[in-house]
Order: sequence, then C-alpha cells, then structure tokens
Amino acid sequence: MTISTLSFQMNAVNQMDALQTAMSKTQTQLSTGKQIQTAADNPVGMSQVVQLNTQLSASQQYVTNGTLATTGLNLESQALTDATNTLQSARSLIVEANNGALNASQRQAIATQLTQMQQQLVSIGNRQDGQGNYLFSGYAAGTQPFAQNGTAVSYQGANQVNQVQLSADQSISTGDTGSSVFMNIPAGNGTFTTAAASGNTGTASVGNGTLTNPSAWVPGNYTITFGTGNTYQITNSAGASVSSGTYSPDAGGAFSISFNGAQLSFNGKPAVNDQFTVDAAGSASVFSTIAGAISALTSPTLNAAQVTTQLNGMLQQMDGALNNFNQVSASVGARLNAVATASSSAQSTQTDLQTTISKISDTNYAAATTQLSTEELALQAAQASYASMMQLTLFKYI
Amino acid sequence: MADLLSTSVSGLLAFQQALDVTSNNIANASTPGYSVETANLTPSPGQFTGSGYVGSGVMVQSITRAYNAQLTQQVRSSQSSYSSYNSLATQAQQIDNMLSDSTTGLSASLQSFVNALQSVSSSPTSTSARQAMLSQGTALAQQLQTYDSQIGQYSAQLESQIGTDVNQINTLASNIATLNQQIAAATASGQTPNQLLDQRGTLVDKLSQYIGVQTLPQANGSEDIYIGNGQALVSGAVAQPLTTIPGAYDPTQLNIGIQNGAGVTDITSSMTGGELGGLLSARNQVINPTQNALGRISVAVATLVNQQQQSGLTLNGTPGQPMFTVGGVQVLPNSGNTGSATVSVSRGSLSQLTTDNYTLQYTAGAWKLTDQTTGQAVSTTGSGTGASPLTGAGLSITITGTPAANDSYLIEPTAGASGGLTMQLTSPAQIAAASRAQATAGAANTGTATISSVGVTNPTSYAGNSYTVTFGAAGAYTVTSGTSTPPGATVATGTYASGQPIEFANQQLTLTGTPAAGDTFIVQPNSTANTGDNSNMLAMINGLSAKNLDGGSTSVNDAATNLLSQVGVVTQAAQNNAAAQQSVNQAATTARSNATGVNLDQQASDVLRYQQAYQAMAQVISISNQMFTSLIQAVG
Repeated sequence: MTISTLSFQMNAVNQMDALQTAMSKTQTQLSTGKQIQTAADNPVGMSQVVQLNTQLSASQQYVTNGTLATTGLNLESQALTDATNTLQSARSLIVEANNGALNASQRQAIATQLTQMQQQLVSIGNRQDGQGNYLFSGYAAGTQPFAQNGTAVSYQGANQVNQVQLSADQSISTGDTGSSVFMNIPAGNGTFTTAAASGNTGTASVGNGTLTNPSAWVPGNYTITFGTGNTYQITNSAGASVSSGTYSPDAGGAFSISFNGAQLSFNGKPAVNDQFTVDAAGSASVFSTIAGAISALTSPTLNAAQVTTQLNGMLQQMDGALNNFNQVSASVGARLNAVATASSSAQSTQTDLQTTISKISDTNYAAATTQLSTEELALQAAQASYASMMQLTLFKYI
Repeated sequence: MADLLSTSVSGLLAFQQALDVTSNNIANASTPGYSVETANLTPSPGQFTGSGYVGSGVMVQSITRAYNAQLTQQVRSSQSSYSSYNSLATQAQQIDNMLSDSTTGLSASLQSFVNALQSVSSSPTSTSARQAMLSQGTALAQQLQTYDSQIGQYSAQLESQIGTDVNQINTLASNIATLNQQIAAATASGQTPNQLLDQRGTLVDKLSQYIGVQTLPQANGSEDIYIGNGQALVSGAVAQPLTTIPGAYDPTQLNIGIQNGAGVTDITSSMTGGELGGLLSARNQVINPTQNALGRISVAVATLVNQQQQSGLTLNGTPGQPMFTVGGVQVLPNSGNTGSATVSVSRGSLSQLTTDNYTLQYTAGAWKLTDQTTGQAVSTTGSGTGASPLTGAGLSITITGTPAANDSYLIEPTAGASGGLTMQLTSPAQIAAASRAQATAGAANTGTATISSVGVTNPTSYAGNSYTVTFGAAGAYTVTSGTSTPPGATVATGTYASGQPIEFANQQLTLTGTPAAGDTFIVQPNSTANTGDNSNMLAMINGLSAKNLDGGSTSVNDAATNLLSQVGVVTQAAQNNAAAQQSVNQAATTARSNATGVNLDQQASDVLRYQQAYQAMAQVISISNQMFTSLIQAVG
C-alpha cells in the first residue's frame, strides 16, 4: 500500500493534536482538582453533584436553623429556671403565712414580698432575646407579653409560636407562649376549685378536694350549705339539690364530705348557713394565684378560716404552676436535645455528602498523574518518530 | 538512421514531459486536494517495413490524475457529519459552560434563596435576614436574566453564523458552477483538465463542511451538486443561490430558502449535515429548549413565591405584594395571517406548564392547538372568548377579532419569562413572613387536637373574615362564620382526619391529634402585631421544595438539575459524535490521500526512472551519431 507523503504528515500531526488535547484535558483535571468540568464531561455525574451540593447546602442551613433555635431555647430554659425559683420562694412564704400564728402586720410584710415576687415573675415573662424579640409572646414577637395593672396581669402576646425546620421532615417550636407557660395553668386540682363564701362565720376551712371517682364527676358549679346539727346540703348552679347528709367530725374537728366522685376535707366547725363553693376548674395564671394570696393576706374582712381556705387553694395552684414550669422545661430540654441530635446527624450526613461529591467529581490524582505521564511519553515518542521518519526520503540519496 | 534519431527524440520529449509531470507532482506534494498525475506513455504507431512494423518511439498519450469517486464521497459525507456535530457541540458547549457550575450554578442560587427563606423563618423579625432574602432573590432573578441575555447573544451569533454560512455556500456554489463551465469546455477538447478537476474537488470538499452534499457527474465533465432532499444547488454551469428567510412567526430566527424558477422555496427542514445543519440542530435542540426550560423555572419561582407573598402579612401588617415580575407568554402571529384576530395568552396551572412551544391555527372554523416539539394536537376546552377561554397545556387563550382560515400563531409559554424576571420588593419589611390568617384553639377544648398550620390558599379571594370550626361526634366538623354564639351561617362541613387540611373560605386549617366533641377552633385574620409569625415563610419554603411541575413530579430544583443534565447529554453526544466522525473523516481522508496523493519516494524513483530513460535516449542519439560517423568514415 502506498502512503501519500501528505497523509503521512497529516496523520502524524492529527495524532499529536489528539495527544495534546488529551494531555490538556488531563492537565485541567489535575490543576482544577475536578474530573468533571462541565455537564458534558459526565451529565449523570454532574447532575448528581449538583443535587448533592444542594442537599449539602440545605443541610448546613438546617444546622444554622438549629443553632438559632438553640439560642432562644436556652434563654427560655434560663427564664423557666428563674421563674421556678421565684415561685418556690413565693410558695414558701405562703406556707409560712398559712400558719395561723402570724399577726396582721406580719402577713402584710409577706404580702409585700409576694408583690415583689409577682413583679419579678412579670419581668421574667417579659424577657427579650438579643434581637429584642420577647421570649414569651409567640408570633407577636414585638409585643410585650405581660402587662401589669396593680396586681392584675394580662397576656397580650399571641397564642402560637414559630416552628423551624431541623430537617426536611422535622420541625420544632422555637419557644412557648406566655399563655401556655404563665397563664393557662389548670386551677384547683385540675377539675374543680374550692372556696369559702365571704359571709361565713364558722371556723371551718376547706381543703382543695380530690377527685376520687372521675367517672362519677358531673362538671358544674356546686354550693355546700351547712345546716343545723352537722347537716349539709349540696346544690348545683340551678339550685337543685345534688346531695345532702350529715357529717361526722373526728376528735380534731376534721371531717370530709363526698359527692359526685369528689371528696372535700374540712377542718373546724362550720356555722349554720356557712357556704362553700365547688366550681369547675377554669385556668388560673401564676400571677392571679399570687395576687389571690396577696389579697387573702391583706384582706381586712376575711376570717382565719377563710384565709386558710384561700391560701390552700393558692398553694395548690402554685404547685400546678411549678408543675407546668417543669413540664415546659422538660419540653425545652427535649427540643434542645432534638437540635443537638439533628445537628450531629446533619454533620455526619454532610461528611457523607462531601465524600460522595468528592468521589464523583474530584480528580483521582494517582490515576490522572499516571495518565498524564503516559500521554506525555506517547507524545514524545510521536514527535521523535515523526522527526526521524521525516528524514527518510529517497531524495537524500539522489 | 533518421528513424533512430526521431525515435530517440520522441523518447527525449516523452521523458521530459514525464519528468515535468513528476516534478509537478513533487511540487504539489503538500497541496491539499491535489491528485497525483501520471504521464501515460504509449508507443508511437509503427512504420511498415518489409520485415514488419518498426516502432517509431514513445509518446505521452495523456496525463491523468488519480481519482477515487467512492473514497471522495466518503471524505465528503464524513466531513459533513463531522462539521455538523462539531458545530452543534460548539454551540451546546457554550450553554453547557454557562450552566455548569456546581457551586455558582442555578441549583446553587435556588438553594441559596431557599436558605435565605429559612433564615427569615428562623428570625422573622430580623431585618438583616430579610435583607439577605431580598438580596438572594435579586441575585436569583439576575442570574436567570443573565442566562437569558446570554442565550439571546448565542442565538444572535447563531443566526448571524447561518447568514455567513449561506453566503459561503453561495460563493462556493457559484465557483463550482464556473469551474463546471470551464471543465466542460476543456473536456470538449478531448483531454481532461486535471487541475480544474482538482480545484473543483477541493471546492466541493469545502462545500461539504457547510452542508451535506450529493454529487452527480455529467457526461460533459461537469458535476451537479444536490443538497437537502435533492434540491439542485449547482446544475451544470448554473448555481441556485440559497437565501435566508425571516421566520414566519419569529423574524429573528432565519429559515433557509432556495431560489427556483417560481420564487423561493423554504427547505429549512431538509437542511442536514455540515455546519449549517449543525447550527439548525443547535437552535432546535439546545438554544430554544434551554431558554424555555429556564423560563419555566423563572415562572415557577415567581408564581410560587408571589402567591405565598400574597397569602401573608408584611412586617407592617399589610398583605404581601408579589415579589417577582416575570415575562409573559409570547404570542407571535404568522406573517402570512390575513385575519384581524388578536390572541392573548396567560399561564394557568403551573403543573401543566411545559417547556414546549405551541402553534394555534384556525382551521375549518375551529382553533387547533399543536405542540411544536412533539407535533401532537393538544386537547382544549372552551371557545376562546373572554368568558370561556380556550384552555389546554396549562395555558388560557383568549381570541378577539375575526381570524381568517388557516391563520396561525406561535405561542411561546415560557421563552420570554426569564428576561422579565425582576425583584419587585425594595424594603425588607415587605417580605410577608406571617400568615394572613391565624387560628386559636378554644379555651375550653378538652381534646388533644393542636393547630399544625393555618394559611390562606387563595389570596385574591380571601375576604379576611372570622370563622369558627366546631367539632361534633366522630370527628365531624362544622365551619360557621363569625366567632359569636349562637354560631353564624355554616360555611363548610366535613369529617376531620389528623393532618388533613380543613378548607373553607379560601383558607385552610390543619390540625393534628384528636379533637373532642364540642372543641372549637377560631380562624381569623392574623393580628398585625404578630410580627414574629413565620408560618407563611415556612409555607413558601415548602412550596418551593414541593414537586409542583410536570403534573406534580418535578420540583423547581429538579427542573434546574434536569436542564443541566439534558444540556450535558446533548453536548456530550455531539462531542462524541464529532470525535467519531472526525476519526472517520481522517481515515477517509487518509485513504483517499493514499489512493490519490503524492508519495515523494515514488516520485523520486520516477525521477530516477525517467532520468535514466532520458539519459539512455541521449546515449542512443550519441550512438546514432557514432554509427553515422563510422558510416561516413567508411565511405569517405
């Protein structure tokens, strides 16, 4: 077969061109560290890398979300601890005040302390984060949640809190509303509250009562009226009699009355026509509880038994409030845990993603370097052989 | 003696001519397209003598060039294929480079925007987070706009390249026609004009770079050139010039026409091969589809974000305004339309919106919508009036005026979208992070149901009234208007399922848990004080991440990734095909060159051969002289 001189030259040049192109490609892979420069190099690989990068970026954002949520939750956790401490001090004071041995001025002193503690709680409830957003006002981040007017405190925040995403399918609340933490605490024992009527003249005080048979309980408001000879009658809000009977006090003067699955403990001797009320439990705020204690302690008209009844009720509500603080704290702790777990799992996901991205898109230096030297060798050989073959011509010998 | 001399002289002349041919071959050893020529020696006719015919020497009967029609055809067809793929690859590579960046590409920008939304949802009152969201939104809009204008530039370059190619083809065709004429004239003399043939062959080779060609040799030596589906570009001494015709719908997109007796025929669809074929493929396979796909992404982002913006409240407590404007549907009437109809088109359902273009034609008294990419008819409903718009393919089409029969319109649902994508909001406060509706659980609720989300689903019809959702037995619920007792008019009823939205009055409430009978939830306009509400922002994030396109199978991010991989696949295929065709072309060129090119060693040996023959002839003359001298001496 004859090879034309021109095609011999052209072929040699084409081969060298091809080798140079290949070397330039390998060199680009080495210098950029990426084996995929554009989608055309590896459409599937490139779209995977882009998707993985998107996931990586989203995952980093989720960690950021979690970090921001942590800041708020830590502040809330601290506020709850402070509120718990304050409320516990208030509770000790009320226990102390519930001791009948105190005189009016001593009770007044305790009431003054309680007033300060109520203010302290209000200011805890009105705490702000670093950006000036109120911790406990929910959606209404710029609205001071608690407004105080005398001893009455009202909630002005919103009833919903923000959720943030910790992952595509996990969200947590970034806080709790003031209404759920401070305001809507189940009053009394959670089912009903007890109170002594203001006109009572006897020495009997009533405890908080317990629900011994919840299925027998008929929600409603009831009045217990004592008659002569240890008799009593219980009427509902419509005035209809629900139950009646006689009570039998023990040696210490204590007795109990049961109706509709509820059991009430009394202490002391009720006068005829003394009345006690059993009301369906609404919700009470921690502020109104303290305010109730203050008003009981400073009331000029209440007798000792009435004060004791009221303070008993307040103590129970305080326990409810402390319990509520505790539950919210536990929930905040659980959320902080969720953030920590999500963030550590996100970090390991990110490492995996980066490894995968690197596997798909990064240059394998060992392979690429070997390839480059192979191509270099081939190009050198091509150049050398071309130069030497170009020497071979018959014309040299003519 | 005289015979001896004349024979020798014939040899001298013949070998001289053969050496001329050889030296011409050597001179053209590096000339592309040169075919090696051979002096065909033939004995001169013999002279009759009594003892028989005595030869009278040698003569060069003809000088012929080496030619191989089959290999030449292979070179040209592989050249056409290579040029076509190479030009497609070059065009596609531009788009591929533009879109391919795993860290700054479109997917990354989309994710950065979503991340900015996440930051706002984490800190709804933070002005800096809101400002960052505006900046990322602006950056995203600018990126899509930049892509659009870059594609516009590539498209303009491509159209101008089409014009240049057509001119180049016309010049080559006209030169080939002229050569045909000269060749025909020269061939009439009985000898083949080798140099003219080589010249024409080179021109046809060159023509095959621009367009796929077929050649048909004629008896008179001329060669007819056909392109496309057999349209004669050159026939004998006549070249039929190609022209560019502005597209009937879009005059900026050029079509290819060929002049014939009656006028100009549009032969765009049959233009394959060569650079011109590659450019037309690039326009149909890469440039236009990419512009449409980017446009659909712009539409999706703008629609999803704007709708959610309008479902929310800004930091100032006012309903949100659309964040982005986006270019509308482009309707291009056919330049041949004779009726007076005006067609206006708006986009309907996002999930039905495609990246295809459509033609709308008025035939037999009815409008017919056809998908240009698939060629399939699209089923439509409605009559096209304002009250009953023609709907189909996610479009809503209204026609006013009177169309003439066969009037047609090109509808580009997304092509113009990215170009008009701009950020409308100027102040961070205008971001609507809060929902326009809020829900509150009744204070006396005893069930475990809690509010999971509440939102406005149709912001344009949302009236901002209050409603009460009251549960009865077994999860049955009644929605009544107002919050007072006794309840107002019933708006909706249904049966509750945990996590399933309760929809009424252009809003929806989602609860989780189990409500007890008698539990109530109040849904009412959100308080303007709820500046920390991020629920609308969460809904916006979900909307952008959800699979809202292609009938609910593709998210915005999927669309961006799909586009990238589609462009990558087209580019890679074009590059691979170009490389393959380049090898085929090189192999064919080598084969042809080996068959018809100059081998210098061969020529060197020819030089030696003819030189020796010449020297031998000269020696014969010398011998003849000696013979003559010895005869004179003998006689003298």
